[in-house]
Amino acid sequence: MNGETEQDWLDKKLQEAAPYIADDGFTARLLQQLPPPQARLQFLRPFILVAASALASALTYVLSDGGRFIIVEMFKVASIPTVWVVVFALASGMLVMAGGILAAMSKAGQIQS
Amino acid sequence: MELTDAGLVARVLVDDDQHAYGELVRRHQSSVRGLLRQLTRGDIALADDLAQDAFVRAYKNIRTFRGEAKFSTWLYRIAYNCFREDARKRKELVGINEEQWQAEQDPQTVDPGLRHDLMHALSLLPLHERSAVLLCCQNGLSHDEASRVLDIPLGTVKTNVLRGREKLKKTLAAWAQ
Repeated sequence: MNGETEQDWLDKKLQEAAPYIADDGFTARLLQQLPPPQARLQFLRPFILVAASALASALTYVLSDGGRFIIVEMFKVASIPTVWVVVFALASGMLVMAGGILAAMSKAGQIQS
Repeated sequence: MELTDAGLVARVLVDDDQHAYGELVRRHQSSVRGLLRQLTRGDIALADDLAQDAFVRAYKNIRTFRGEAKFSTWLYRIAYNCFREDARKRKELVGINEEQWQAEQDPQTVDPGLRHDLMHALSLLPLHERSAVLLCCQNGLSHDEASRVLDIPLGTVKTNVLRGREKLKKTLAAWAQ
C-alpha cells in the first residue's frame, strides 16, 4: 500500500469512527441556557439619527455666522461652467460605482470562500 | 431554500434570533461534541458540558465573528479553548498527566474491532498531535484552519499531523494490509 493510499485509508477510517451524534435534546437544553435577547432599541435608531443631524445642522448654522458661507459657496459653484459641473458629476458617479463594484466583488469572494 | 451558516449568523446578529442560533447548534452539535469526546478521551458527560459551554460562549461572543473563517472553524476554536481551560482547572494539562495517562495504558491491550483500535491508538497520541489529527483528518479542516483553531503556527500543525499520522499508521499497520 503506497503512502497516499495509506493516508486516504487512515483519514477514511478516522471519519467513519466518528459517527453522527444524535441531538437528543442537546439543542433544547442549550437554548434554555442562553441569555435572554437584549431589549430591542432598534425603533429608536431613526429618531437618534434625525436628532443628531438636526443638532449638527443647528450648531453649524449658529457657528458659521447664520450660514453665510453657504451663500458664498453657492455663488462660487454657480460661476463654474456647466460643462465642468457635468464632467465632475459624471466622474464622481463613476468613482462611486467603481468603489461599489469592488466592494461587492470582495464580499462575494469572502462569502464563496 | 436552506439558509447558510452566514445567513443564520446574520439573523442572530440583527434580530437576536435564538431560533436561528438553535439551527446553527443543530448543524454543528455532532462535530463539536464528537471532537470534545475525542479530546476528553471518551468522557461523554464532560464533553457535553464543555460543548454546552462552548455554544453558550459562542452565542455571547457572536459579534466578534467576522466571517473571515468558516463558522465551524470559529466554533472549533471556542470549543478547543473551553477544553483547554477546563483541563487547566483540573490540573490535567498536557505534560505531566498526558505522560502519566500514557504510562498507565497497556500497549498489549488490543480491542477487538478496528474502531476500538483506532480510538485507542488516537487516545495514546499526545494532545497536540491528537488535536491536529482530529481536526485535519477527521473533521476535514485545512492545515491553515487548524492552525487558527489551535492557535499555533501552520508549520507546527503540519508537523503534528504528520507525526500523529505516522504513529497511527504504525499502530494500525496490521489493519491496513
